[in-house]
Amino acid sequence: MKKGTIVLIVILVVVIALGSGVVGRYNQLVALEETVDGRWAQVENQLQRRADLIPNLVNTVKGYASHEEQVFADVADARSRLLGATTPEAQMEANRGLDSALGRLLAISEAYPQLKADTSFIRLQDELAGTENRIATERMRFNESVQTWNTTIRQFPTNLLAGIMGRQPKPFFEASSSAQEVPQVGF
Amino acid sequence: MRMHKKIIRTSIVLVLVVVMSNVVMAAFPDKQGFVNDFANVLDQKSKAEMQLLGEKLWSEQGIGLAVATISTTAPMDPKEYTTALFNEWGVGGPDDSGLLMLLAVAEGAIEVEPGYGLEGVLPDGLVGAVIDQEGIPHFKKKDYGAGLSAMALAYANILAGEEFEIVEEREGSSGWFVSFVIFVLILMLMRRGRRYPPGGSGGFGGGGGSGRTVIVPRMPRGGGFGGGSFGGGSRPSGGFGGGRSGGGGAGRRF
Repeated sequence: MKKGTIVLIVILVVVIALGSGVVGRYNQLVALEETVDGRWAQVENQLQRRADLIPNLVNTVKGYASHEEQVFADVADARSRLLGATTPEAQMEANRGLDSALGRLLAISEAYPQLKADTSFIRLQDELAGTENRIATERMRFNESVQTWNTTIRQFPTNLLAGIMGRQPKPFFEASSSAQEVPQVGF
Repeated sequence: MRMHKKIIRTSIVLVLVVVMSNVVMAAFPDKQGFVNDFANVLDQKSKAEMQLLGEKLWSEQGIGLAVATISTTAPMDPKEYTTALFNEWGVGGPDDSGLLMLLAVAEGAIEVEPGYGLEGVLPDGLVGAVIDQEGIPHFKKKDYGAGLSAMALAYANILAGEEFEIVEEREGSSGWFVSFVIFVLILMLMRRGRRYPPGGSGGFGGGGGSGRTVIVPRMPRGGGFGGGSFGGGSRPSGGFGGGRSGGGGAGRRF
Protein backbone atom coordinates (compact mmCIF):
# COMPACT_ATOMS: atom_id res chain seq x y z
CA MET A 1 0.00 0.00 0.00
CA LYS A 2 1.13 3.47 -0.71
CA LYS A 3 1.93 5.78 2.12
CA GLY A 4 -0.70 8.22 0.90
CA THR A 5 -3.48 5.65 1.16
CA ILE A 6 -2.59 4.81 4.75
CA VAL A 7 -2.61 8.47 5.72
CA LEU A 8 -5.97 8.85 4.02
CA ILE A 9 -7.44 5.87 5.89
CA VAL A 10 -6.11 7.16 9.19
CA ILE A 11 -7.59 10.59 8.54
CA LEU A 12 -10.90 9.00 7.56
CA VAL A 13 -11.01 6.90 10.74
CA VAL A 14 -10.21 9.91 12.89
CA VAL A 15 -12.87 12.00 11.14
CA ILE A 16 -15.51 9.29 11.53
CA ALA A 17 -14.61 8.78 15.19
CA LEU A 18 -14.73 12.51 15.88
CA GLY A 19 -17.85 12.92 13.80
CA SER A 20 -19.82 10.28 15.64
CA GLY A 21 -18.62 11.75 18.90
CA VAL A 22 -19.77 15.19 17.83
CA VAL A 23 -23.16 13.86 16.75
CA GLY A 24 -23.59 12.16 20.11
CA ARG A 25 -22.68 15.33 22.00
CA TYR A 26 -24.91 17.41 19.79
CA ASN A 27 -27.87 15.13 20.41
CA GLN A 28 -27.10 15.18 24.11
CA LEU A 29 -27.19 18.97 24.12
CA VAL A 30 -30.44 19.06 22.20
CA ALA A 31 -32.03 16.57 24.61
CA LEU A 32 -30.83 18.55 27.62
CA GLU A 33 -32.16 21.80 26.25
CA GLU A 34 -35.51 20.17 25.57
CA THR A 35 -35.59 18.94 29.16
CA VAL A 36 -34.96 22.43 30.48
CA ASP A 37 -37.71 23.86 28.29
CA GLY A 38 -40.11 21.09 29.26
CA ARG A 39 -39.49 21.62 32.94
CA TRP A 40 -40.01 25.33 32.53
CA ALA A 41 -43.35 24.65 30.87
CA GLN A 42 -44.31 22.71 34.01
CA VAL A 43 -43.31 25.67 36.16
CA GLU A 44 -45.40 27.92 33.90
CA ASN A 45 -48.41 25.64 34.33
CA GLN A 46 -48.25 26.03 38.07
CA LEU A 47 -47.68 29.78 37.90
CA GLN A 48 -50.75 29.97 35.70
CA ARG A 49 -52.68 27.84 38.14
CA ARG A 50 -51.85 30.20 40.96
CA ALA A 51 -52.78 33.21 38.87
CA ASP A 52 -56.16 31.55 38.20
CA LEU A 53 -56.82 31.12 41.91
CA ILE A 54 -56.22 34.75 42.76
CA PRO A 55 -59.53 36.35 41.62
CA ASN A 56 -61.50 33.94 43.81
CA LEU A 57 -59.23 34.54 46.74
CA VAL A 58 -59.41 38.31 46.36
CA ASN A 59 -63.20 38.21 46.16
CA THR A 60 -63.44 36.15 49.32
CA VAL A 61 -61.15 38.51 51.22
CA LYS A 62 -63.09 41.50 49.83
CA GLY A 63 -66.23 40.14 51.41
CA TYR A 64 -64.73 40.73 54.84
CA ALA A 65 -62.17 43.46 54.28
CA SER A 66 -63.55 45.62 51.50
CA HIS A 67 -61.60 48.75 52.43
CA GLU A 68 -58.13 47.26 51.86
CA GLU A 69 -58.24 48.53 48.29
CA GLN A 70 -54.52 49.20 47.97
CA VAL A 71 -53.66 45.55 48.57
CA PHE A 72 -56.29 44.31 46.11
CA ALA A 73 -54.99 46.71 43.48
CA ASP A 74 -51.41 45.55 44.09
CA VAL A 75 -52.38 41.91 43.74
CA ALA A 76 -54.35 42.54 40.54
CA ASP A 77 -51.44 44.53 39.19
CA ALA A 78 -48.85 41.88 40.00
CA ARG A 79 -51.11 39.18 38.55
CA SER A 80 -51.52 40.95 35.25
CA ARG A 81 -47.78 41.56 35.09
CA LEU A 82 -47.21 37.83 35.51
CA LEU A 83 -49.76 36.94 32.87
CA GLY A 84 -48.25 39.49 30.52
CA ALA A 85 -44.67 38.29 30.93
CA THR A 86 -43.36 36.27 28.01
CA THR A 87 -39.75 35.26 28.65
CA PRO A 88 -38.81 32.99 31.55
CA GLU A 89 -36.71 35.77 33.08
CA ALA A 90 -39.63 38.21 32.98
CA GLN A 91 -41.93 35.57 34.44
CA MET A 92 -39.54 34.88 37.29
CA GLU A 93 -39.35 38.58 38.02
CA ALA A 94 -43.13 39.07 37.86
CA ASN A 95 -43.62 36.05 40.05
CA ARG A 96 -41.50 37.60 42.76
CA GLY A 97 -43.75 40.64 42.64
CA LEU A 98 -46.83 38.46 42.96
CA ASP A 99 -45.28 36.60 45.89
CA SER A 100 -44.95 39.76 47.92
CA ALA A 101 -48.39 41.11 46.95
CA LEU A 102 -50.00 37.80 47.92
CA GLY A 103 -48.07 37.79 51.16
CA ARG A 104 -49.65 41.12 52.05
CA LEU A 105 -53.10 39.90 51.06
CA LEU A 106 -52.80 36.88 53.35
CA ALA A 107 -51.41 39.04 56.14
CA ILE A 108 -54.68 40.99 56.05
CA SER A 109 -56.62 37.87 56.86
CA GLU A 110 -54.89 37.71 60.22
CA ALA A 111 -56.81 40.80 61.27
CA TYR A 112 -60.22 39.33 60.39
CA PRO A 113 -61.11 36.32 62.53
CA GLN A 114 -64.35 35.78 60.63
CA LEU A 115 -62.47 35.61 57.36
CA LYS A 116 -60.01 33.13 58.83
CA ALA A 117 -62.91 30.91 59.87
CA ASP A 118 -64.67 31.12 56.51
CA THR A 119 -64.67 27.62 55.00
CA SER A 120 -64.36 28.76 51.42
CA PHE A 121 -61.43 30.94 52.43
CA ILE A 122 -59.78 27.94 54.08
CA ARG A 123 -60.31 25.87 50.95
CA LEU A 124 -58.83 28.61 48.79
CA GLN A 125 -55.87 28.88 51.13
CA ASP A 126 -55.38 25.14 50.80
CA GLU A 127 -55.47 25.43 47.03
CA LEU A 128 -53.01 28.29 47.18
CA ALA A 129 -50.66 26.47 49.54
CA GLY A 130 -50.89 23.34 47.39
CA THR A 131 -50.12 25.34 44.28
CA GLU A 132 -47.15 26.98 45.95
CA ASN A 133 -45.86 23.58 46.93
CA ARG A 134 -46.32 22.47 43.34
CA ILE A 135 -44.41 25.52 42.16
CA ALA A 136 -41.65 24.66 44.62
CA THR A 137 -41.50 21.08 43.33
CA GLU A 138 -41.44 22.12 39.69
CA ARG A 139 -38.92 24.84 40.48
CA MET A 140 -36.64 22.25 42.01
CA ARG A 141 -36.98 19.97 38.99
CA PHE A 142 -36.39 22.88 36.64
CA ASN A 143 -33.29 23.99 38.54
CA GLU A 144 -31.91 20.46 38.46
CA SER A 145 -32.24 20.38 34.69
CA VAL A 146 -30.66 23.83 34.42
CA GLN A 147 -27.77 22.67 36.54
CA THR A 148 -27.21 19.67 34.28
CA TRP A 149 -27.37 21.94 31.24
CA ASN A 150 -24.98 24.52 32.67
CA THR A 151 -22.51 21.87 33.77
CA THR A 152 -22.59 20.08 30.44
CA ILE A 153 -22.05 23.10 28.25
CA ARG A 154 -19.08 24.19 30.36
CA GLN A 155 -17.37 20.83 30.33
CA PHE A 156 -14.74 19.87 27.83
CA PRO A 157 -15.29 19.03 25.02
CA THR A 158 -18.99 19.90 24.93
CA ASN A 159 -18.11 23.52 25.65
CA LEU A 160 -16.54 23.79 22.18
CA LEU A 161 -19.69 22.49 20.54
CA ALA A 162 -21.94 24.66 22.70
CA GLY A 163 -19.78 27.62 21.70
CA ILE A 164 -20.26 26.85 18.02
CA MET A 165 -24.00 26.40 18.56
CA GLY A 166 -24.09 29.66 20.49
CA ARG A 167 -25.63 28.11 23.60
CA GLN A 168 -25.42 30.01 26.86
CA PRO A 169 -25.82 28.98 30.51
CA LYS A 170 -29.44 29.33 31.63
CA PRO A 171 -30.55 31.18 34.75
CA PHE A 172 -31.87 29.34 37.79
CA PHE A 173 -35.35 30.08 39.10
CA GLU A 174 -34.57 31.43 42.55
CA ALA A 175 -37.32 31.39 45.13
CA SER A 176 -38.03 34.74 46.67
CA SER A 177 -37.82 34.66 50.42
CA SER A 178 -41.53 35.25 50.92
CA ALA A 179 -42.43 32.38 48.64
CA GLN A 180 -40.46 29.96 50.77
CA GLU A 181 -42.88 30.59 53.58
CA VAL A 182 -45.82 28.66 52.26
CA PRO A 183 -48.96 30.01 53.94
CA GLN A 184 -50.00 27.66 56.68
CA VAL A 185 -53.57 27.09 57.60
CA GLY A 186 -53.14 27.32 61.33
CA PHE A 187 -55.25 26.44 64.32
CA MET B 1 -2.30 20.36 33.66
CA ARG B 2 -5.86 20.58 32.44
CA MET B 3 -6.15 16.81 32.77
CA HIS B 4 -4.98 17.11 36.36
CA LYS B 5 -7.62 19.70 37.19
CA LYS B 6 -10.27 17.70 35.48
CA ILE B 7 -9.44 14.61 37.49
CA ILE B 8 -9.56 16.58 40.71
CA ARG B 9 -12.85 18.20 39.74
CA THR B 10 -14.39 14.91 38.71
CA SER B 11 -13.36 13.22 41.92
CA ILE B 12 -14.80 16.08 43.99
CA VAL B 13 -18.07 15.77 42.10
CA LEU B 14 -18.06 12.00 42.55
CA VAL B 15 -17.42 12.30 46.28
CA LEU B 16 -20.20 14.90 46.55
CA VAL B 17 -22.61 12.73 44.61
CA VAL B 18 -21.87 9.73 46.80
CA VAL B 19 -22.17 11.77 50.00
CA MET B 20 -25.37 13.47 48.90
CA SER B 21 -27.04 10.33 47.67
CA ASN B 22 -26.22 8.68 50.97
CA VAL B 23 -27.87 11.52 52.83
CA VAL B 24 -30.95 11.31 50.66
CA MET B 25 -31.08 7.54 50.80
CA ALA B 26 -30.79 7.48 54.56
CA ALA B 27 -33.76 9.83 54.82
CA PHE B 28 -36.23 7.44 53.24
CA PRO B 29 -37.20 4.19 54.87
CA ASP B 30 -38.23 1.25 52.70
CA LYS B 31 -41.93 0.83 52.09
CA GLN B 32 -43.58 -1.98 53.97
CA GLY B 33 -46.98 -2.00 52.35
CA PHE B 34 -50.07 0.18 52.46
CA VAL B 35 -49.49 1.03 56.13
CA ASN B 36 -46.00 2.03 57.21
CA ASP B 37 -46.00 2.73 60.91
CA PHE B 38 -42.36 3.72 61.31
CA ALA B 39 -43.09 5.87 64.35
CA ASN B 40 -44.99 3.03 66.01
CA VAL B 41 -47.98 5.14 66.97
CA LEU B 42 -50.85 3.25 65.34
CA ASP B 43 -53.18 0.77 66.99
CA GLN B 44 -53.85 -2.63 65.46
CA LYS B 45 -57.48 -1.90 64.62
CA SER B 46 -56.74 1.25 62.60
CA LYS B 47 -53.86 -0.43 60.85
CA ALA B 48 -56.09 -3.33 59.82
CA GLU B 49 -58.82 -0.96 58.63
CA MET B 50 -56.40 1.00 56.48
CA GLN B 51 -54.76 -2.14 55.17
CA LEU B 52 -58.14 -3.48 54.00
CA LEU B 53 -59.06 -0.13 52.51
CA GLY B 54 -55.73 0.00 50.68
CA GLU B 55 -56.19 -3.47 49.26
CA LYS B 56 -59.73 -2.66 48.15
CA LEU B 57 -58.77 0.61 46.46
CA TRP B 58 -55.87 -1.06 44.71
CA SER B 59 -57.72 -4.09 43.45
CA GLU B 60 -60.94 -2.29 42.48
CA GLN B 61 -59.73 1.05 41.17
CA GLY B 62 -55.98 0.73 40.81
CA ILE B 63 -55.50 3.53 43.30
CA GLY B 64 -52.54 3.22 45.61
CA LEU B 65 -53.16 4.47 49.14
CA ALA B 66 -50.09 4.68 51.33
CA VAL B 67 -50.07 5.70 54.97
CA ALA B 68 -46.84 6.47 56.77
CA THR B 69 -46.03 7.65 60.25
CA ILE B 70 -42.56 8.88 61.01
CA SER B 71 -41.03 10.27 64.18
CA THR B 72 -39.48 13.23 62.40
CA THR B 73 -38.89 14.48 58.87
CA ALA B 74 -35.86 16.55 59.87
CA PRO B 75 -33.85 17.97 58.25
CA MET B 76 -36.58 18.30 55.64
CA ASP B 77 -39.82 20.18 55.91
CA PRO B 78 -42.77 17.75 56.28
CA LYS B 79 -44.27 18.81 52.94
CA GLU B 80 -40.98 18.53 51.10
CA TYR B 81 -40.43 15.13 52.67
CA THR B 82 -43.89 13.94 51.64
CA THR B 83 -43.35 14.91 48.00
CA ALA B 84 -39.92 13.28 47.94
CA LEU B 85 -41.18 10.12 49.65
CA PHE B 86 -44.14 9.88 47.28
CA ASN B 87 -41.88 9.91 44.26
CA GLU B 88 -39.27 7.69 45.90
CA TRP B 89 -41.86 5.02 46.64
CA GLY B 90 -43.84 5.54 43.46
CA VAL B 91 -47.21 5.50 45.20
CA GLY B 92 -50.03 4.48 42.87
CA GLY B 93 -50.15 2.97 39.44
CA PRO B 94 -48.46 4.07 36.23
CA ASP B 95 -51.18 6.68 35.73
CA ASP B 96 -50.03 8.40 38.94
CA SER B 97 -53.10 7.33 40.85
CA GLY B 98 -51.61 7.43 44.31
CA LEU B 99 -52.41 9.09 47.62
CA LEU B 100 -49.86 9.41 50.40
CA MET B 101 -50.81 10.36 53.94
CA LEU B 102 -47.83 11.18 56.11
CA LEU B 103 -47.89 11.91 59.82
CA ALA B 104 -44.77 13.35 61.40
CA VAL B 105 -44.97 13.02 65.15
CA ALA B 106 -42.24 15.44 66.27
CA GLU B 107 -43.46 18.17 63.91
CA GLY B 108 -47.10 17.49 64.76
CA ALA B 109 -47.71 17.52 61.03
CA ILE B 110 -50.13 15.75 58.76
CA GLU B 111 -49.51 15.98 55.03
CA VAL B 112 -51.73 14.45 52.38
CA GLU B 113 -50.53 14.39 48.81
CA PRO B 114 -52.34 13.07 45.75
CA GLY B 115 -50.46 11.92 42.68
CA TYR B 116 -50.87 13.80 39.41
CA GLY B 117 -53.64 11.42 38.37
CA LEU B 118 -55.84 12.15 41.39
CA GLU B 119 -55.46 15.91 41.54
CA GLY B 120 -58.70 16.37 39.63
CA VAL B 121 -60.82 14.29 42.00
CA LEU B 122 -59.02 15.47 45.12
CA PRO B 123 -58.46 19.20 44.86
CA ASP B 124 -56.33 20.67 47.64
CA GLY B 125 -59.27 22.41 49.29
CA LEU B 126 -61.11 19.13 49.64
CA VAL B 127 -58.00 17.35 50.87
CA GLY B 128 -57.63 20.03 53.54
CA ALA B 129 -61.29 19.88 54.53
CA VAL B 130 -61.04 16.14 55.14
CA ILE B 131 -57.99 16.70 57.35
CA ASP B 132 -59.87 19.36 59.31
CA GLN B 133 -62.99 17.33 59.83
CA GLU B 134 -61.79 13.74 60.03
CA GLY B 135 -58.20 13.94 61.18
CA ILE B 136 -57.54 16.94 63.41
CA PRO B 137 -60.07 16.13 66.17
CA HIS B 138 -58.38 12.75 66.67
CA PHE B 139 -54.85 14.04 66.27
CA LYS B 140 -55.42 16.61 68.99
CA LYS B 141 -56.16 13.71 71.33
CA LYS B 142 -53.03 11.97 70.04
CA ASP B 143 -55.25 9.24 68.62
CA TYR B 144 -53.27 9.04 65.39
CA GLY B 145 -54.64 5.69 64.25
CA ALA B 146 -58.29 6.70 64.44
CA GLY B 147 -57.59 10.01 62.69
CA LEU B 148 -55.67 8.48 59.82
CA SER B 149 -58.20 5.70 59.44
CA ALA B 150 -61.13 8.13 59.34
CA MET B 151 -59.32 10.26 56.78
CA ALA B 152 -58.46 7.24 54.65
CA LEU B 153 -62.10 6.20 54.66
CA ALA B 154 -63.23 9.71 53.67
CA TYR B 155 -60.76 9.84 50.78
CA ALA B 156 -61.78 6.37 49.65
CA ASN B 157 -65.43 7.47 49.62
CA ILE B 158 -64.59 10.57 47.61
CA LEU B 159 -62.60 8.44 45.17
CA ALA B 160 -65.59 6.13 44.89
CA GLY B 161 -67.64 9.10 43.73
CA GLU B 162 -69.35 10.17 46.92
CA GLU B 163 -69.76 13.78 47.89
CA PHE B 164 -67.82 14.88 50.95
CA GLU B 165 -69.89 17.18 53.08
CA ILE B 166 -67.96 20.15 54.33
CA VAL B 167 -69.20 21.31 57.69
CA GLU B 168 -69.48 25.06 58.05
CA GLU B 169 -68.42 24.99 61.69
CA ARG B 170 -64.89 23.83 62.30
CA GLU B 171 -63.45 21.47 64.88
CA GLY B 172 -66.49 19.21 64.67
CA SER B 173 -67.76 20.56 68.01
CA SER B 174 -71.34 20.24 66.81
CA GLY B 175 -70.91 16.67 65.68
CA TRP B 176 -74.19 15.53 67.21
CA PHE B 177 -76.04 18.27 65.37
CA VAL B 178 -74.57 17.22 62.05
CA SER B 179 -75.45 13.61 62.70
CA PHE B 180 -78.95 14.70 63.62
CA VAL B 181 -79.32 16.70 60.40
CA ILE B 182 -78.00 13.80 58.37
CA PHE B 183 -80.39 11.47 60.19
CA VAL B 184 -83.35 13.72 59.43
CA LEU B 185 -82.24 14.04 55.83
CA ILE B 186 -81.95 10.29 55.50
CA LEU B 187 -85.45 9.93 56.92
CA MET B 188 -86.77 12.47 54.44
CA LEU B 189 -84.98 10.81 51.57
CA MET B 190 -86.30 7.42 52.56
CA ARG B 191 -89.81 8.77 52.65
CA ARG B 192 -89.44 10.25 49.23
CA GLY B 193 -87.85 7.09 48.02
CA ARG B 194 -85.40 9.01 45.92
CA ARG B 195 -81.66 8.95 45.97
CA TYR B 196 -79.71 12.06 46.77
CA PRO B 197 -76.22 12.60 48.05
CA PRO B 198 -76.60 13.31 51.77
CA GLY B 199 -76.47 17.01 52.60
CA GLY B 200 -75.89 19.57 49.91
CA SER B 201 -72.63 21.09 49.05
CA GLY B 202 -73.23 23.39 51.98
CA GLY B 203 -73.40 26.75 50.29
CA PHE B 204 -70.08 27.04 48.53
CA GLY B 205 -69.26 29.01 45.47
CA GLY B 206 -66.12 28.38 43.56
CA GLY B 207 -66.59 25.16 41.71
CA GLY B 208 -67.32 22.57 44.35
CA GLY B 209 -70.17 20.22 43.80
CA SER B 210 -71.11 20.38 40.19
CA GLY B 211 -69.70 18.26 37.45
CA ARG B 212 -67.08 16.38 39.38
CA THR B 213 -65.41 13.83 37.21
CA VAL B 214 -64.40 10.67 38.93
CA ILE B 215 -61.52 8.97 37.29
CA VAL B 216 -61.38 5.30 37.65
CA PRO B 217 -57.93 4.25 36.58
CA ARG B 218 -57.44 1.00 34.79
CA MET B 219 -57.05 -2.13 36.81
CA PRO B 220 -53.37 -2.86 37.06
CA ARG B 221 -52.26 -6.08 35.54
CA GLY B 222 -50.69 -8.80 37.55
CA GLY B 223 -52.87 -8.94 40.63
CA GLY B 224 -51.98 -5.99 42.78
CA PHE B 225 -48.64 -5.06 41.33
CA GLY B 226 -48.54 -2.15 38.94
CA GLY B 227 -45.85 -1.62 36.39
CA GLY B 228 -44.41 -5.03 37.02
CA SER B 229 -41.66 -3.67 39.20
CA PHE B 230 -42.24 -6.22 41.91
CA GLY B 231 -42.87 -9.84 41.27
CA GLY B 232 -43.73 -12.45 43.84
CA GLY B 233 -41.54 -11.08 46.59
CA SER B 234 -41.47 -11.64 50.29
CA ARG B 235 -44.36 -9.47 51.37
CA PRO B 236 -47.32 -8.49 49.24
CA SER B 237 -46.96 -4.75 48.90
CA GLY B 238 -49.36 -3.61 46.22
CA GLY B 239 -50.13 0.02 45.74
CA PHE B 240 -46.75 1.06 44.39
CA GLY B 241 -46.42 1.13 40.66
CA GLY B 242 -44.24 4.12 39.96
CA GLY B 243 -46.82 6.84 40.55
CA ARG B 244 -45.55 10.40 40.66
CA SER B 245 -46.71 13.55 42.36
CA GLY B 246 -45.94 17.19 42.01
CA GLY B 247 -46.30 18.54 45.52
CA GLY B 248 -50.05 19.17 45.66
CA GLY B 249 -52.40 18.28 48.47
CA ALA B 250 -52.75 19.92 51.84
CA GLY B 251 -51.28 19.75 55.29
CA ARG B 252 -51.89 20.89 58.85
CA ARG B 253 -50.00 21.29 62.09
CA PHE B 254 -51.78 20.07 65.15
